Amino acid sequence: MSPGFFLRTLLRESRGSRGRLAFFIACLAVGVSAVVAVAGLSASLDQGIRREARQLLAADVAVRGNRPIPPEVDGALAAFHGVERTNLRETVTVASVPGRDGQPGPSQLVELKVVDGVYPFYGKLVLRPGRPLHELLSPRTAVVASELLARFGRKVGDDVYIGGQPFRVAGIVVSEPDRVSISFTLGPRVFLSGAGFARTSLEGQGSRVSYRALFKLPEGITASGLDVAAEILRGAVPRGETYRVETWRQAQPALRENLARIERFLGLVALLSLFVGGIGVAQSVRAWLAGRLDAIAVLKCLGLRPREIFPLYLGQTVLLGLAGSGVGIVAGAIVQLILPRLFPDLIPAELINPWQPMALLRGLALGVGVALLFSLPPLSAVLRVPPARVLRRDAEPLPRHRWVAATTMLVLGLGVWGMAALQSHSPRLGAEFTGGVALVTALLAGAAFLVTWLVRRLPRDFASLWLRQGLAALARPGAAGASAIVALGLGVLVVLGMSLVQQRLAAQLSAEMPANAPSAFLVDIQPGQWPGIEKVLHDSGATGVESVPVVMARLKAIDGVKVEDLVERREGERRWGLTREQRLTYMKELPKDNQIVAGALWSDPARAEVSLEKEFAEGIGAHVGSTLSFDVQGVPIDLEVTSLRTVNWQTFGINFFLVVEPGVLESAPQQRLAVARLPRGGEQRAQDALAASYPNVTLLRIREILEKVLKVLQRISLGIRFLGGFTVVAGIAILAGAISAGSSRRGREVALLKTLGMTRRGVAATFAAEYALIGLVAGGIGALGGTALAYGVITRGFQIPWQFNAVSLAVALGGTVVLAVLAGLAASYRALERRPIEVLRAE
Amino acid sequence: MNSPRIELRQLTRKLPSGGRELTILDRVDLTFQAGEFAAVLGPSGSGKSTLLALMAGLDRPTAGEVLIDGMAIQSMSEDELALLRRHKIGFVFQSFQLLGNLTARENVLLPIELSGQPDPVGRANELLAAVGLDDRGHHYPSQLSGGEQQRVALARGFAARPPILLADEPTGNLDGATGRRILELMTELRRRAGTTLVLVTHDPAVAALADRRIHFRDGRVERDEQPVLAVPAETGALS
Repeated sequence: MSPGFFLRTLLRESRGSRGRLAFFIACLAVGVSAVVAVAGLSASLDQGIRREARQLLAADVAVRGNRPIPPEVDGALAAFHGVERTNLRETVTVASVPGRDGQPGPSQLVELKVVDGVYPFYGKLVLRPGRPLHELLSPRTAVVASELLARFGRKVGDDVYIGGQPFRVAGIVVSEPDRVSISFTLGPRVFLSGAGFARTSLEGQGSRVSYRALFKLPEGITASGLDVAAEILRGAVPRGETYRVETWRQAQPALRENLARIERFLGLVALLSLFVGGIGVAQSVRAWLAGRLDAIAVLKCLGLRPREIFPLYLGQTVLLGLAGSGVGIVAGAIVQLILPRLFPDLIPAELINPWQPMALLRGLALGVGVALLFSLPPLSAVLRVPPARVLRRDAEPLPRHRWVAATTMLVLGLGVWGMAALQSHSPRLGAEFTGGVALVTALLAGAAFLVTWLVRRLPRDFASLWLRQGLAALARPGAAGASAIVALGLGVLVVLGMSLVQQRLAAQLSAEMPANAPSAFLVDIQPGQWPGIEKVLHDSGATGVESVPVVMARLKAIDGVKVEDLVERREGERRWGLTREQRLTYMKELPKDNQIVAGALWSDPARAEVSLEKEFAEGIGAHVGSTLSFDVQGVPIDLEVTSLRTVNWQTFGINFFLVVEPGVLESAPQQRLAVARLPRGGEQRAQDALAASYPNVTLLRIREILEKVLKVLQRISLGIRFLGGFTVVAGIAILAGAISAGSSRRGREVALLKTLGMTRRGVAATFAAEYALIGLVAGGIGALGGTALAYGVITRGFQIPWQFNAVSLAVALGGTVVLAVLAGLAASYRALERRPIEVLRAE
Repeated sequence: MNSPRIELRQLTRKLPSGGRELTILDRVDLTFQAGEFAAVLGPSGSGKSTLLALMAGLDRPTAGEVLIDGMAIQSMSEDELALLRRHKIGFVFQSFQLLGNLTARENVLLPIELSGQPDPVGRANELLAAVGLDDRGHHYPSQLSGGEQQRVALARGFAARPPILLADEPTGNLDGATGRRILELMTELRRRAGTTLVLVTHDPAVAALADRRIHFRDGRVERDEQPVLAVPAETGALS
């Protein structure tokens, strides 16, 4: 068969099928639009970051770390003539203004940025008045965000106190080049000069200061010159320390990696809706082929070989796949334009450009791929159509080839895996996703089968006429509802599961704290300040005040193996566990929320002992019997791990990964950390009072921080539920498709019922009962699955206690029923309208 | 000596029916020579259509052999059978079996293009003209009357110049006058092309047109009226 003849025959044979395959296109378009929206939005953000990369870094190359930039960096770039450098330090502290009548004035947690030099090298720092920052900043001035002035009721020219020193506000920050609008902030911005910072009591004690050195290289430096500079800097920082060297050409690798991680995750959720659409594709193809059996038999009769007929129909699914993907791509582009309007604080509208060729191509490839893959199982029936059908309608199908079914399933499985791997950029994650989807689909299908099996055996005599009809329809062998139940159930599972997790987290985070939980942390307390601070706290009505010493240290070696060597083999969090600034405390008895799970506390009088939190120990690769060598601010100390413990972090009590036996660290330089339970409003009072007398102490309100964390979680959850919604829409489209595919049978049913004297409304009611039952079963199975998913995520992932949420379940069930009934009735509208005589005559 | 165009040896077809086996064809031996026009007669259920299906490789025998031009076809694969039909066998069915998505001309074109003959459009037009439908080629089957549809089917049946044409009750769905016109056309086309025609019918008047009449009953050949035995008086029985 020549390609031209093949194409001509394909196009001719597809005539008249086009309209009937609208559901094929709809099912596919929903999923493709989700895929394109995710890929397009993510590409837009990525492009935005790349375009603004220099501004976002505010420099050509930067070194950052949680310790002061080492002196080795200072002369490293001497070879580049005319290199400029600016040092930045960032920390969180409390700003305040003096009160009147002996009362402390208001105070506010702020994000402090200390600038030595020109800032920024690139991008715009918008200030009022519009002068460069280094001109506005002097040792006695600060530039602050307008929220802070509003909070204090002050204006430019007035004084604010930071770290116990007054600073005249010389200007207002309107926008910063390197502060991303969607990032997490603890308070308004305050800029100080290095000399100004030196006047405060914050210098040198900051346990939470991050350091950055920005470099501007000479104009016209090449990309390779930039890389050389970065390599020199990387070579200059000490090995095994967590300094990061970044050039603007790398364009915020950390931020982009985070975005990519979110994209991978959301991409899989979008792919799920495409796969649900695939179930609809399979169902449409099955219904379509049922009407083409005669034509296929004739083609075989005329001498077309099965291997020629199969691609003829597969080719038609490709055409439909192209059409469905096309519709989906347009819809996905529209979603990209609408989303920033709906959630302006989530997605910056100015960055969005829906014309992302790679995203569109991805939508097209995945759409056509799903159309092809999910058509394979129903299309394999083409091979079995008996040509003898032209003579006898009841001719038995040709014998089944065992390898056809096996090959089809293999190709389907590999294809699904390939797509998941493409979406997640990880073959392993793709495999896990494929396995998970296959398992959940099998469970849903099994449950749907079980329910219809039960319904078939249920006595129906008790039910009303409508319900009886509905039950009978659900129990009918080969009822079209099964795949709709699976698809709709999957959608409900995703949406309900995510919303249960999010609600539970929100409830947990915003619930009244346990009666004995602290409401504030106080950090950076100097040992001598503690008695006075304790008094301030008690005066503010604090209860449950506790305080422990904190000694900062660095881990140097485990069992004699240097951390530098250990780090080489670790990644991410494990690396962080080894190289972080370790906070050690010492105490005789562990707090009540700690439980020893291995070894025994302070059991070896001969050794200096340390007790490790179990997961931290696993992270750094230590166990009972390990020796940890620390550098405690210049003094080497070896500690033996004699116990591991678990910690219940939800009590918000003071807890440490590392607790040292008393008698080891008492003479080391140290600070104190405190917690207190303050009455409502007492937190502000205590902060105001502390800011007046102990300006170096920072009070962190647990509730406020939790609310900020919650907001971030809510944004992510919103994205997932939004995409999960596509799965539900695909499920509904499948239900409507299944109903409309059976519309001729339904038409006969309507005619018969009307002939028997049932009114149109009565017939509609029996149909509604059937669809409601489908909705109920799908909603029930999906709700069960969603609850199981949420239970797993909540109790295993977040490790917070499970709480049954009846309202959400009821809403999910009710919503699915209503959607199913509405979509079902809409799809059977034509059948309902038919007059009995039209249908009976056509028989 | 040339092998017969179609040869059936001990052809048997059994079908499972309600737990037991029903014998549709029972050890049938028949040969059809090139250019022969044979009618297979018999009441419904006598195995006529099954015979046709087995000769075309649409169905497979339970036992026995079908030889087309000396080649046994019962062990051919579906692909080989399709190729055999493509090049050697044309069909005309009682229910026309035109492809509804294709126009009349496209229905006729399909086997021509499939068999790779030169000038397919010219050949299709020529055939449509021969059946008197040259002005209706752009119509879809649903826009044609039953007689017109069967004429398109005839044109399609002869389109690839098959040496064999199998016709299953070609006038069964048509009124008397239309049926006669179709039969006249078919015999005319057959005569011009020298095609071997095996026609299945239960109507003795239709069978009377054939050179040879084979009577079936209960899956067996009851009587085989060879051309020499043909009763001339029956030729006029069409009216």
